[in-house]
Amino acid sequence: MAAPSPARSFLATLSLVFLAIAAIFAADMFLAGLERKESRIEAARLFRQGQTAIARGENVEAIERINDATSFERGNRDYRRTLAQAQLAAGKTGDAEATLTDLLQTDSTDGLASLTMARVLVKEGRFREAVSYYHRAVYGQWSQDAAANQLRARFELIDLLAHRDSKEELLAELLPIEDQPPRDWKMRARLGQLFLQEGSPARAAALFRGVLHDAPANADAYAGLGEAEFAQSQYRSAQRDFQTALRLEPDNQTARKNLDLANELLTLDPTLRGLGQEERFRRSVKLVELTGAEAGQCAGGNPAPDLQALLDTAEEAVNPRVSAARQSDAAESNLDLAEQLWAARKECKPPPPADSPLALVMARIAQ
Amino acid sequence: MDNGEQPSWLSRLAGSLERLRQREDQMTLVLSVVIGALVSLVVVAFILLTGRLAARMYPPGGSGWRRILVPTLGSLGTGYLLWRYFPFARGSGIPQTKYALFIHDGRIRFRTVFGKFFCCSASLASGIALGREGPSVQVGAGIASVVARNLGLETKQVKALVSAACAAALAAAFNTPIAAVLFTLEEIMGDLHAEVLGSVVLSSVTSWVVLHLVLGDEPLFHVPAYRLVHPAEFGVYAVLGVVGGLGSVCFVKLLLGLRAWFMRLPKSTVWVQPAVGGLAVGLMGYFVPEVLGVGYNQVEKVLNGDIVLQLVVLLAVLKIVATAVCYGSGNAGGIFGPSLFMGSMMGAAVGGVAHTLFPNYTAGPGAYALVGMGTAFAGIVRTPLTSVIMIFEMTRDYTIIVPLMISNMIAFFISYKLQKEPIYEALAHQDGVHLPTHHSRSESERLQVSQAMRSAPVVLSPDMRIGPALHKVEDGAFDAWPVVGAGGLWGMIRTNDLEQAAEDGASNKKIAEILDHRPPTGHPSAEEFPHVHLDNSLSLALQRMGAIRLNVLPVVSRENLRQLIGIVALNDVLSAYGVAKAAGEPERRR
Repeated sequence: MAAPSPARSFLATLSLVFLAIAAIFAADMFLAGLERKESRIEAARLFRQGQTAIARGENVEAIERINDATSFERGNRDYRRTLAQAQLAAGKTGDAEATLTDLLQTDSTDGLASLTMARVLVKEGRFREAVSYYHRAVYGQWSQDAAANQLRARFELIDLLAHRDSKEELLAELLPIEDQPPRDWKMRARLGQLFLQEGSPARAAALFRGVLHDAPANADAYAGLGEAEFAQSQYRSAQRDFQTALRLEPDNQTARKNLDLANELLTLDPTLRGLGQEERFRRSVKLVELTGAEAGQCAGGNPAPDLQALLDTAEEAVNPRVSAARQSDAAESNLDLAEQLWAARKECKPPPPADSPLALVMARIAQ
Repeated sequence: MDNGEQPSWLSRLAGSLERLRQREDQMTLVLSVVIGALVSLVVVAFILLTGRLAARMYPPGGSGWRRILVPTLGSLGTGYLLWRYFPFARGSGIPQTKYALFIHDGRIRFRTVFGKFFCCSASLASGIALGREGPSVQVGAGIASVVARNLGLETKQVKALVSAACAAALAAAFNTPIAAVLFTLEEIMGDLHAEVLGSVVLSSVTSWVVLHLVLGDEPLFHVPAYRLVHPAEFGVYAVLGVVGGLGSVCFVKLLLGLRAWFMRLPKSTVWVQPAVGGLAVGLMGYFVPEVLGVGYNQVEKVLNGDIVLQLVVLLAVLKIVATAVCYGSGNAGGIFGPSLFMGSMMGAAVGGVAHTLFPNYTAGPGAYALVGMGTAFAGIVRTPLTSVIMIFEMTRDYTIIVPLMISNMIAFFISYKLQKEPIYEALAHQDGVHLPTHHSRSESERLQVSQAMRSAPVVLSPDMRIGPALHKVEDGAFDAWPVVGAGGLWGMIRTNDLEQAAEDGASNKKIAEILDHRPPTGHPSAEEFPHVHLDNSLSLALQRMGAIRLNVLPVVSRENLRQLIGIVALNDVLSAYGVAKAAGEPERRR
């Protein structure tokens, strides 16, 4: 039998090599699959241990377990997100930031990672960056219940802005929610409170009315609505709502305080509609008396000549003998005098509190 | 075909392959790709199999006695197999691969490959404190050797493919294709400009691609992005270099000392010696489980700053001892992985102390662990360039490069000063093998033409008549003489040619008429116009003298090849090597 030619022998050997490549490739894929499966099982076991530790508040232990889990299954983003949360809870903000940076590098739209990063940055006092990450969380991707999670992230941002008294930014965050208010009335009530805090009582009132439509016996909603109406100088409506709130929840101290304030205002305000001429005059005299006392107290024992002149005029005004026909004119001049006295009082230190009944009435007269 | 039939596709393919086979260089390049893929798949199988075996030997929550029993029995079993069936599969694999390349014409037996694969897999899985990379290199090189020889390739091609397979194996084992190329050239070939560069690169890249195909794109270690906190940190990295260098020397000396001790024991105990390593590591592992195995998960932890200082120091010390005992006692496994482990622990220890003392000026221990890996590698394996690139590829973190270079060079320098012989050289010497070393190669390149050059005793002119020229040179000792005319050196004229011309009755002819070379124009090559430069090595001068069969060469300027600086003669070259006496007078031409 003739010996095979070198080329044929070469070809035969090469064919065997390719056959070996195919066979080992198949074996590798099997082994790799087996490793991945076993790694996933081990990772899941360690992750469960980590979650149990988190539930017990043992965050350091949890970090160790979840770290081990991630080393078995590096691609699992849930593990790494939970790791970052545990690191944050343990106060290891640097580690949490590193974990989250890594996560966000591979997917910058990760909502939960962005939210956790925002929390880390808040804890580190880096508020500007935190706001940016809150926005990423609000507009980011969530694996489940995206709308609710996005809303929760926005509320967290809103709370931060409210806490930092950033009214313009707060309004910018609140307005998108107002367009599509949440179905949950509790969230709407919270939103109403935030609008109140931000200084948009009309929007707050609308939200509280909506809440009362869904939950007619909600004391907080009545109290909130009362506050919104009070801020819009609708004192009578506010008084009614505070009263309703107290009827539903007698221990609501805030509502009681607000009701007292509304009551006081309603007995003091001379500009209220429906007041008789005599009552309006009486209230103007009372205002001159109160503003005069404030101005006198402010000036002390040695008032300036201009102020002294005003005080003298005020003294005459509080003991009037005015005929019914002149009561209307007298009331107007009393209110002018009260305004002048109040303006003099304003220069005192400390300035009068803005939420006192007298200040509120004077502000209303100035309008 | 003789019978008029069309050749079958098989015949056509065989014909094409035969034509390709005739073009050796192209064939080697094509086969480098095939070998790269095959070796990568085998190494991946080796790693995966070892990992799965280890997972079964040490299930989660396993009891302490396992940690003593498994490595002892594992090393005892594999020790017997190594002694009885696979004697060439002991140890790391790197020196054995070098033996094959430099002594055995690239021959590695399939039996050795088989033994290395399974014995190493079993011993590493049992918890022996050695690495998988060195064995992967030997397995890869062995596969290439077997395939290349069965393909009927020339020795030169076999050796080229063995080198390529080394790179492929390392690229697959470490997931570091560039470092694999560098290591193959720097350590295994000992020459960064080796001819096999193309094959090595192709093979490494193919291996890396196949690795990614099977296991995906994951670096060996995941580390946070570290950055230099303060320029003063360079000082701490320098300290790390010192610590890493000293630690490396301790490890190498301990390993060599223990190996020498084991080698002095009676031959009949060779099969049981590995069990000593297994028992030692088992006892350590009973108390500190982290010391078992290659320990890459511990390295990852320390890189992330997750191990406390005391444990880090303890692990560094225990790993040095465990690896030295395991290797010295003859277990199968490498020292790459353990080097990285020791380095990371030493780095974390230095970094931990520095961070405790100067928290505002230093990064956390993880950054130092990262640099420490390269530092120990540079100190132990003595391939500083490879170690820098390797750490970069492993971590994909560029910011750490500069501290890494500083630390590496210091460790390399200390290691070089305190342990003259690099570890693989020393291991080969213990085996009674003397491999060509980088040092010996550079020594031969060290002697330069300038050390043997002299001024030309006779310079001929192209216009000179042959008769007077012959008279002028007949007492001279050289085979040829420089001819310098307008424009500089025209070339060298052989005395034989002058004599022949005179015999032919052409004594009145001018030298220019019989000179091979034309008047100076263009830029002739060394082949057309044999010459050397002042900074060429004497070995090159000898090589060129041999090629043109002359005992003298002109020494010319690098700037202008036609500018004669002097001549270099054979006798002066030999004298520079100390072979011949320094020639006061040149030897007579025979």
